[in-house]
Amino acid sequence: MKKVKLLSTLTAFSIMLAGCASSANPQTPAATSAAEGTAAPAAAAKPFLTVAYSEGGTTLDPAEANDLTSDTLVLAAYDQLVTYGIKADNGANIANTEDIKPMLAESWETSGDNTVYTFKLKPGVKFQSGNPVDADSVVYSLDRVAKSSSGSFLYGMAAIKTVTAKDDSTVEIALTNANHNFLQILAMYTFSIVDKKSVEAQGADYLKTHAAGSGPFTLEKWDPATEAVFTPNEDYWQGAPKLGKVTMKFTKEASNRVLLLNKGDVDMAIEIPPKDVDSLKSNSNLTVASNASNRILFFAMNNKVKPFDNEKVRQAINYAIPYDELLTGVMYGQAKQMKSSVASNTPGFSDAGYVYEHNLDKAKELLKEAGYEKGFTFDFTLGSGFDDWEDDAVLIQAELAKIGVTMNINKLARAQFLEQQKTKNLTSYISKWTSFVNDPGYHLGFLMYGKGSSNYNNYQNAEVDKLWEQANTETDATKRAELYKQAQEIITTEAPWAYLYEYNRIVGMNNKISGYAFYPDEVIRFYPLSIQE
Amino acid sequence: MFAYTLKRLAQMIPALLGIIVITFILSRVLPGDPAIMLAGEQAPEETVNKIRQDMGLDKPLYIQFFSYFGQLFQGNIGYAYHTGHSVASDLATRFPATLELTIASILIAILVAVPVGIIAATRKESILDHISRVFSLIGACVPIFWLGLMFIYIFYSILGWAPAPMGRISGDLNPPAHITGLYVLDSLLSGDMMALKSSIVHLVLPAICLSTGTMAIVARMTRSSMLEVVDQDFVRTARAKGLKESAVIYKHALVNALIPTLTVLGLQFGYLMGGAVITETIFSWPGIGGYVTDSILAADYAPIQAFTLVSAILYCGINLAVDLIYGLIDPRIRYE
Repeated sequence: MKKVKLLSTLTAFSIMLAGCASSANPQTPAATSAAEGTAAPAAAAKPFLTVAYSEGGTTLDPAEANDLTSDTLVLAAYDQLVTYGIKADNGANIANTEDIKPMLAESWETSGDNTVYTFKLKPGVKFQSGNPVDADSVVYSLDRVAKSSSGSFLYGMAAIKTVTAKDDSTVEIALTNANHNFLQILAMYTFSIVDKKSVEAQGADYLKTHAAGSGPFTLEKWDPATEAVFTPNEDYWQGAPKLGKVTMKFTKEASNRVLLLNKGDVDMAIEIPPKDVDSLKSNSNLTVASNASNRILFFAMNNKVKPFDNEKVRQAINYAIPYDELLTGVMYGQAKQMKSSVASNTPGFSDAGYVYEHNLDKAKELLKEAGYEKGFTFDFTLGSGFDDWEDDAVLIQAELAKIGVTMNINKLARAQFLEQQKTKNLTSYISKWTSFVNDPGYHLGFLMYGKGSSNYNNYQNAEVDKLWEQANTETDATKRAELYKQAQEIITTEAPWAYLYEYNRIVGMNNKISGYAFYPDEVIRFYPLSIQE
Repeated sequence: MFAYTLKRLAQMIPALLGIIVITFILSRVLPGDPAIMLAGEQAPEETVNKIRQDMGLDKPLYIQFFSYFGQLFQGNIGYAYHTGHSVASDLATRFPATLELTIASILIAILVAVPVGIIAATRKESILDHISRVFSLIGACVPIFWLGLMFIYIFYSILGWAPAPMGRISGDLNPPAHITGLYVLDSLLSGDMMALKSSIVHLVLPAICLSTGTMAIVARMTRSSMLEVVDQDFVRTARAKGLKESAVIYKHALVNALIPTLTVLGLQFGYLMGGAVITETIFSWPGIGGYVTDSILAADYAPIQAFTLVSAILYCGINLAVDLIYGLIDPRIRYE
C-alpha cells in the first residue's frame, strides 16, 4: 500500500510539475518558439518548411545515395556541374531533362567527335566550408563515383574514361565513346561536387553522415529515426534560400502523413496514398500536385518458360488485363495507362503498335490459336511491400479465370523477391521501374536489350538489340528517336510484358508554398521553394 | 543472495554464446541478399558483387563468423547499412526510446490492472467483475494498429488534445540534456519543465496503446491468483484476528497473490520491448522495434545480431530481477 501511495504521489507530482511549465527549455533557441513550420517567428525573417517523408535515408554520400530520402538530402546540400532546365506543362513546372543548364560549370565545349568535354567552372564559387570550388574537387568527386559501390555503374553508363584538371577552373572529361546521355547523367545527384579539402581532412567515412558541398542548405542534423534539419546557406552563390529552415520529418505511416498535412503540422508530404487524394483536395488550405511520373508498373512474363514462350499467349494476357479497373479501382485515378515499354514522359516515347484493350473474346481467340483452348495454370510471384500490387494481382487473377487461365499467387518478402527475380527463373511477376536517366536508350538497355542487366524475364529479339545498338551510337536526335520508336513497336507487338500503368507522383502541400517543380527522379528540390505569409 | 546472483550471472554466459551463434546463422539463412538491397534495383550484377566483396559476404560463413565474433569482443557491434550509422549509435538513440515507452506502458498496466484484478476478485461474479472481464477481453483482442490509429484520429485529428504523432517531443523543443536517454526522467533530473511536459504529452497515447494487452493479462492474472489466496487459511486467520477488510486484502492477500503477477509482468516486459514495433510505427516513435523490423526487411545483419544480443542480456537481467524480487515479497523464498 505504501508503494502504491508513493507511486501515485510521484505521478501526481510529475503531472503537477508538467502543468507549471513556466521554466524555459534551456536548449530551445528563442527563434523557434512558434509552432514549427507554420508561422515565422519574429526573430527569424524567413519562413520554415516542414516536409513529411516515409523513410529516413541511408547515407549522405552522393556517390552511394540511391533512395529517395538520401537523394533529397544530397541535392539540398550539394551542387553538380550541370543541371536540368524547367518547362511549364499544363500550368505545372516540370523538369526538362533534355535541356541541360550550367550549374557549377559556367560553360563547356565539346570536341568534334563528342568524346571530350571541357568544362569551365564558375569563378568565385565557394563550398560551405569556405574552400573554393576548383577543378581538383571536381576530379576528386568524379573519381569517388568511379570507386563507389552504388554509383560506379552510372560512371560506366556515362562512358567516362578520364577526368583531368587542366587548370584551377578547367576540367576535361574524356569519354570512351560518344554518348548522348553523358550530360544528363552528369546532372544527377551521384555526380555532386564534394569539397576535397574538407573530406580529406576529416577522413574517409566523413561523407556518410556529413555533407561537404556548395549547395543551398547546410545540414544541421540527420537522424534517420526522426528528422533531418537544414539551415540555409546564406552565402549561396545563386543567392540565399528563401526558407529559414527545412525540416524533413520521417513518418512511416502513410495515413499519419495525410493527417499531419490536413492539420497543418507539416507543410508538405510525399507518398500520399491515392485513395486520400480526394480528401486532401477538399481541404481549401492544400494543393495536391499529381504529376505523371516515369515510374511504370508492368506484368512480366518469362519469355523462356512455357506457355509464355508463345507470343500469342502473352498477347492474350494483354487482352485480359482489366485496365480501367486497375486505374480507377486500385489507383483512384492517380495513374495513367501505360502504352509502351517506355514511360510516356520520356522523350522518344512512342505508342506505335499498341492495340491492347480489355477484350476477353479476343484473349480467348488468341489462346485458341496458340493451342491453349482449355487454358493453363501458371505461377505468379508477388513481392511484398506495395499495396496496389496485391490488388492488381487479385483483379488480374479474377479476369484470367474467366478465360480458363489459373494464376497461382505466391507471396514473397521484398528482399526474397528481389533475390529470386535476379535468377531470371520467375514465371511471372509484377514489377515497377523508374529510369534515373530520362532516355529510352537507358531504359530499354536495362529492361529489353538482350544483354540488359535487368532483363529478368528473358526477352530476346535480335532486331530490337540491333536497333538499340544503332541508336546508342547515333548522334542525331531525330534519327535516334526513329530507331527507338521501331524498337518500341516490336516490343509492344511481341508483348514480353503486359503494360499496367504509370504512377503519378503525388505531393500534397500548403497553398502558401510556391516554386515546386516536378523532376523525373521524383526528388523535391528545396531551393526554389518559398512560402508566402 | 550475492553468491546466488553471481551464479546466475555466470549461467548467462553459455546462454548468450548460444544466442550469438544462433542469431548469426539465422540472419544468414534469412532470405534476401543485403548486397542487392543496398545496391538498389537498377544496379547491375558487377555492382552487387563489388558490394558483396566490400561487406565480406563472399567469404565462407565460418570466416565471417570469426571476424564478427572478434569484433564483438573488441566492442564493435557493426555498421547498419540501412541507416548509414554505426549500430552502437543507432542503439544508443533508439533503445532508451523503447525502454521509456515500455516502462510507461508497464506502469500504466500495473496502475490500472492490479486494482481492477483485486476488485474483480473481491467482488466475484458481481457486475464489476463482469465489466472487468469484458474490458480484459477487449484489451486482449483489440489490434494495436487499429487502436493506435483510432487514438490519433480522435485525440489528435478531431479533438486536437494530443500532439502530432511525430516522435518523443515537440519539434520546436530540444530534447532534455542527455543523462539516461529517457526523456521524462532526464527532463525531471535537469529541471527542464517544457521538455518534461512535452515528453509526457507525447508518451501518453502510445503508452496506453501499448499497455492494453498487458493490462488485460495482468488484470486476469491478479484476479485469479487473488481468488486462490483469499480462500486460504491465513486470510481467514487475519479476518478472525479482527483486522480491517482493507488490511486483510492488501497486506495479507495481495502480497501473496503478487508472485504470479510479477512473473507475468517480467515476461510482458521482454515481450513489449520487442513487440513495440506497431506502436512505434504508428506514432513515429524512434524506438528499437521499428529499427529491427527495417533491419530484417533490408537483410541488414549487424543490427539484427546486435539487437538480439542486447535483448537477450536484458531478458536474462529481467528474469534475474524478478526472481530476486520474489524473495523480497515472499520471505519463504530463499536463495542458495
